[in-house]
Amino acid sequence: MATGPANRRQALQAAGGLGMLALDHLLRADAGAIQPHHAPRVRRVIQLFLNGGVSQMDTFDHKPELEKRHGQTVDLGLKAAATSVPGPMMKSPFPWKRHGQCGRWVTDRLPHLARQVDRLAFLMGMASRTSVHGPASYLANTGFQLPGFPCAGAWIGYALGRLTDNLPTFVVLPDSRGLPYNGMGNFAAGFLPATHQGTVIHPDSPVPIPDLQADRRAHFANAAESADGLSLLRDANQRFANDRPGDSRLRARLGMYEMAARMQASAPEAFDLSRESARTQEAYGANRPGHEGSFARNCLLARRLVERGTRFVQVWSGAGGASNNWDNHTSIPDELPPICRQVDQPAAALLEDLAARGLLADTLVLWTTEFGRMPFTQGSVGRDHNGDTSVAWMAGAGVKGGTAIGSSDEFSYQAAEGKTSIHDLHATVLHLMGIDHEKLTVLQNGANRRLTDVHGHVLTDLLL
Amino acid sequence: MPTVPGTSHPVDAFVRARLVREGLTPSREADRRTLLRRLSIDLTGLVPTPEELAAYVGDQSPEAYERQVDRLLASPCYGERMAQQWLALAHYADSHGQDQDRARPNAWPYRDYLIRSFNHDKPYPLFVREQVAGDILFPGDPGALEATGFLAAGPWDESGLRDIREDALDRITAQYLDRDDIVSSTFSVFMGLTVGCARCHDHKFDPIPQADYYALQAVFAGTDKAERTYDADPAVASARTALAKRLEEARAWRTNPGLALANPSATAAVQLLQASHSRSEASWMIPEPLGWKSGQGATLKVLPDRSILSMGKRPEKDTTTVCLALRAGPISSVRLEVIPDETLPLNGPGRCDNGNLHLSEIRLKLSGKALKIATAMADFDQTDWGIAKAIDGNPDTAWGIHPQVGKAHQAIFLLARPVEAGPSSELEVELDQLHGRGHLIGRLRLAVSGDSSLAPGDWRPFAPEIAAILARPEKARTDAQRAELRIVALEQQLQGELDKLPVRRKVYCGTSQYSPEGSFKPALLGRPVHLLRRGDSRKPGEEAVPGALSALGFPSRFPATLGKPEGERRMALAGWLSHADNGLLWRVMANRVWAQHFGDGIVSTPNDLGKMGGTPSHPELLEWLASEFKNRQGSLKALHRLVVTSSTYRQVSSHRDECAAKDAGNRLLWRMSRQRLDAETVRDALLQVSGRLDGTLYGPPVKLYVETASVHVTPQADYLAFNPDGAGANRRSLYRFIFRTRPDPFLGALDCPDASQSVPTRTESASPLQALALWNNANMLKSAEHLAERARGLDPSVAGSVAVATRLLLLREPTPAESSAWTTHARKHGLASVCRVLLNTSEFLYVD
Repeated sequence: MATGPANRRQALQAAGGLGMLALDHLLRADAGAIQPHHAPRVRRVIQLFLNGGVSQMDTFDHKPELEKRHGQTVDLGLKAAATSVPGPMMKSPFPWKRHGQCGRWVTDRLPHLARQVDRLAFLMGMASRTSVHGPASYLANTGFQLPGFPCAGAWIGYALGRLTDNLPTFVVLPDSRGLPYNGMGNFAAGFLPATHQGTVIHPDSPVPIPDLQADRRAHFANAAESADGLSLLRDANQRFANDRPGDSRLRARLGMYEMAARMQASAPEAFDLSRESARTQEAYGANRPGHEGSFARNCLLARRLVERGTRFVQVWSGAGGASNNWDNHTSIPDELPPICRQVDQPAAALLEDLAARGLLADTLVLWTTEFGRMPFTQGSVGRDHNGDTSVAWMAGAGVKGGTAIGSSDEFSYQAAEGKTSIHDLHATVLHLMGIDHEKLTVLQNGANRRLTDVHGHVLTDLLL
Repeated sequence: MPTVPGTSHPVDAFVRARLVREGLTPSREADRRTLLRRLSIDLTGLVPTPEELAAYVGDQSPEAYERQVDRLLASPCYGERMAQQWLALAHYADSHGQDQDRARPNAWPYRDYLIRSFNHDKPYPLFVREQVAGDILFPGDPGALEATGFLAAGPWDESGLRDIREDALDRITAQYLDRDDIVSSTFSVFMGLTVGCARCHDHKFDPIPQADYYALQAVFAGTDKAERTYDADPAVASARTALAKRLEEARAWRTNPGLALANPSATAAVQLLQASHSRSEASWMIPEPLGWKSGQGATLKVLPDRSILSMGKRPEKDTTTVCLALRAGPISSVRLEVIPDETLPLNGPGRCDNGNLHLSEIRLKLSGKALKIATAMADFDQTDWGIAKAIDGNPDTAWGIHPQVGKAHQAIFLLARPVEAGPSSELEVELDQLHGRGHLIGRLRLAVSGDSSLAPGDWRPFAPEIAAILARPEKARTDAQRAELRIVALEQQLQGELDKLPVRRKVYCGTSQYSPEGSFKPALLGRPVHLLRRGDSRKPGEEAVPGALSALGFPSRFPATLGKPEGERRMALAGWLSHADNGLLWRVMANRVWAQHFGDGIVSTPNDLGKMGGTPSHPELLEWLASEFKNRQGSLKALHRLVVTSSTYRQVSSHRDECAAKDAGNRLLWRMSRQRLDAETVRDALLQVSGRLDGTLYGPPVKLYVETASVHVTPQADYLAFNPDGAGANRRSLYRFIFRTRPDPFLGALDCPDASQSVPTRTESASPLQALALWNNANMLKSAEHLAERARGLDPSVAGSVAVATRLLLLREPTPAESSAWTTHARKHGLASVCRVLLNTSEFLYVD
């Protein structure tokens, strides 16, 4: 089913003349824009994106100093956080324990992920450049704080092309409560062809992909009509292309409708979670009702998609807004546990399931957020945004489990040693996929643009 | 100019000279059907009708083609087409973008300015200057103000620039980023240069030092993206200015009361004031409160004068409901008095610690039926907390009286329509006080009046001390009182005249003239801008002086604008851009026009003519076009005409092996380049061929989606649920509401940009998702149904209606084979299914 980029390129070369600028775009849509720079270890990626800014010192960044100084006012030299003035230091309200062979500290709010730590490679001092959701989310997705740049999924689809004709290459599964901060901007193709933008799938909706089926209000449209119509269209477009030799775009249009028909036929099967065993569904927690089980169902769907050839799946936890996400300004004890509960078991089950099926051998799983939170209180028990340190992790193909790089200071206020950035993480992901991040460039408005801007180092310490 | 035998058009001379050099030959001229379709789409974004084609084909005159060019250039749709493309350049949208993607209900006047400017063929340098500093260059000219919508067309980070704390470092960062958007956009669009590269270091390839970049940031140091009010009619604008000036003069008399006493014009005003005051006072009736309630548990007590005092627990926020017993008779207005009381902080009249109150909203109900309030007036408005905010439907804004605490104030609400109260009618008044921190009304009293003969100006409430002066006999007034009365009377009169002027419009633009929202407030003289080391706002270097690029050989710093209103800096930049020695301005636009017609510029990167940009395919031609453009006073219509009347433009797009072998990409233009319709043109063409296009020009944008509120600022937008036959669905695509982070998926599948960055030319992608959109989307299927209906109306026979649909769509007759296959299909699946196929053909979606 899957066709390597080289084969596809040769096939297209045989079909029509190369060299036109426009054809170049079509080729990119169809296959990869580049040949891998080195042998890839990863062919597909599932990114869990925790929207709102995960509180690192309440999840993975254990800080005994915060327990000691709890309630004290410490002058950090900061006049104001994003939305508040610094309050006294606040320890994590949750108990901590060491886990796994590696002995990593995890809070008791993430008991399932705690059992996975030997699979995970942590970035313990990952800094953003801003503490504002909009620019921070753009930065975490595209490497730039301003809108208009392609996100990682778009770059990867552009660079490497697709693994299957039956499903979109880059799929986004938003929280069932709504889109994250920046909406579709986080999944945009920027200046890359529109083909590379994330395809948003709403698995619970009667229309999971826009226009996968004919709009219901058109009463004349039906399966037999569509099949005959497509055949008539192929004839007309074939004649038009034959009369106009040398224009490969016109030939590409023929293929585009054929692929659409295949996607129309096979996508519903991929979205159908009822084909999974009750045991699997239970393992993910996918049978929990409504929003409570939505992240679980999306994780399970993500596995089904990568299994069938989708290259990059982004699973979001939390919609934009004041509640039901990781943006816990008001109360860490009240707001964090429920969102942890929605994510913890499914994320762990996803790793287990991928491993059990052998998919983890060439699949990478990422846990990222746009920034961290402050060690001091906002109000009485909330925490404000903190762009200066946060935690991310990687798991799967090519990743050295049970390791970590970097650390924050004694309060988890700023990244201290081994400070990393999203550019480093993106450089590492591209590296695992066979791409030198400095060589994947596109000329746009006079600059050679990269996913990693002018930054990024591959985090070799975390790799096998 | 090169001379090439057999060419009379200068454009062809340049192109052919190069072809000859490369051993290539030009192609023959295309037929009239192809030419008209190409020309019509390029100049108006619309497909020609069969009638238009027939007229052209039937025109035997040697100028037949030029006539078509002139007809299309004169069409108002020309301005729409050009505006559509300019909007993509300006990265215009009707919402902020980012995490709080709020609607901008008043961005569209900029879009309409573009349409008018293109249709009037505004000289290009003027067009440029207006977009950078129209408000300063032509004060009072509404169009010139609307032009500055350009500066605000890009995204705006509401969280970073308004909502986070003013003293957070991220506020400064957000301001640098916002100015970066304006600087980058201005220089990409007008100068074809990428200056953003110099944010962190000197530009690697072009001579743009980092200091130049921060000089540009300093130009926009006080330019915020915000709503500015203005008069759409210049005559009203000057009347308003004159009235405002007289008002200011009258107020100035307070420092020299002698002037007021010496001025004869105030006498009449005082008499009028006296008369209307007596009448309005006499008409007020203070009804007995029947019921009173605090929504949040404050204790309310009715005093003998029928006022109501709030005591006991002071909630953060409250809604007070008062029910009044009315007498039978008309009601045209309601008065709210807020009264000081010694039990209140600083004597009130509010319960806030500083004596203030905030009335967020007032609602009136007569025996359960809501009454609409037309106007509100108060004797005093706290700065930015005017009485109009108590009736704006926005719970986040309110009326306040700070710093005039400790005294009585009143507000009058005029009903949209007088109502008739019965003998047992009750008036329910709800007063929202939702600002928080105890900004509550301490003591209030309500009155009603039924005298609808009084005009709004007659009702203008004023301070109790003025009422006291009026109550004294003329002789008993002191000189100071007489002077104050004259001033107040003139204020009332002039304010009344100002109120009668037409309501002002709003435009979202780059400005410092706007009402603050929280800590987002104007910096009239500009904020300090520093050169940032490595572009890091934590590492500010020396303060930047406003200026532009230093490498162009004319003065590039504007130190004289420092300490002056921010607009001076933009005016200096506008002058710099349109400087006689700035050849780049002309080259960039000439190249854009070329790209618009050939699908590719002479320089392939129209937003970058710097060293990183493409190598020009015909450098001398570009120079010549730029100088022609300049010599013709920057007439874009003349430039378009020049390009499309060339034989180069009129060639067929057919492939020839021998030429393709040497120049497969057709950079040298040995043929025309085939182009796919862009997303907006596809949608417009669908409306057009199915007979639905609503050609209305201008106006507020149309939402092509169903909007529902969400838990967040950004609403949800369901494009699939939108009724393709619903209200506004038939307007051209440039009138759609462009929602930055919720873009239209149908247009997106056809490569429509999402307004996040300046887009000079469209990419053209082909993907299964695009095929799904074209095959299944409601826009397509509904158009197929409408087209079928239209065709059947013109010829009811199956074969005949197939032929009509083909003519409408493809401007030709079906071949016998097509006719047979399509008619058979129509018999089996209906004509709409044939139309679905036709709308998906490459022949419809491409321009040869």
